[in-house]
Amino acid sequence: MFWLFHLAAEGNMDFITKKQIDLVALLQKSHCPTAGAVVLFSGEVRNHNIGKAVKHLEYEAHAGMATKMIAEILLAARNRWNLSIAYAQHRIGKVKVTESAVVVITASVHRGEAYASNRYIIDRIKHEVPIWKCEHFTDGSKEWGGNCNCHTETGDPNKHLYEFKVL
Amino acid sequence: MKIQVFAILKDFFKKEFEFKTSVHTIADLRVALALINPEATAVLKLCRFAVQDEMVTDHYPLTGNEHVLVIPPSSGG
Repeated sequence: MFWLFHLAAEGNMDFITKKQIDLVALLQKSHCPTAGAVVLFSGEVRNHNIGKAVKHLEYEAHAGMATKMIAEILLAARNRWNLSIAYAQHRIGKVKVTESAVVVITASVHRGEAYASNRYIIDRIKHEVPIWKCEHFTDGSKEWGGNCNCHTETGDPNKHLYEFKVL
Repeated sequence: MKIQVFAILKDFFKKEFEFKTSVHTIADLRVALALINPEATAVLKLCRFAVQDEMVTDHYPLTGNEHVLVIPPSSGG
């Protein structure tokens, strides 16, 4: 079984997409004879943040770098947990309330690895990959996502949970 | 060199612009950009930089011919 995805073989390899993420279709393609556990995480747009009503989100990315970095993250997860499937897709452009902004799918022999690797992948995507969120509120105001939330864990806005790969 | 900015930095700079001031390293560039627009200083301090689509450190040497990306803290997900 080709690890990265039988999804890829079906032309569904876009890690960054402008199209609405089809969770049902992705899950349908995520069954694998070597895997006893499949975990699908969907990060979705909620209708409120920081006490304000959210109208929609707008995502921007450097697609080339983001694609390469997501592939590296998936490869690292696959190697660490010996996954049968590791897949992620992040949407860009306007995303409405209840729609999926990002999906991560992992499959492994047992559930522990599928859960752990899924959390690892989404955390690294949120903290490292050049993707940015702008919140648009119903009162007409907007706010860029700004910092990742690493400082809540590290206590230092300059110190992140994961070290960035640099030259 | 060509500078390209993203996300919140587009509120402070043009999305792409030519930067002609002589700077020797990414660290110099970070300071020089803050001088152009002091309101962006706080964000610039947290930004990563990339050259030719690869992340680089503050010590990375610049010749003036690069395409530099200024990458604000990620906020995907």
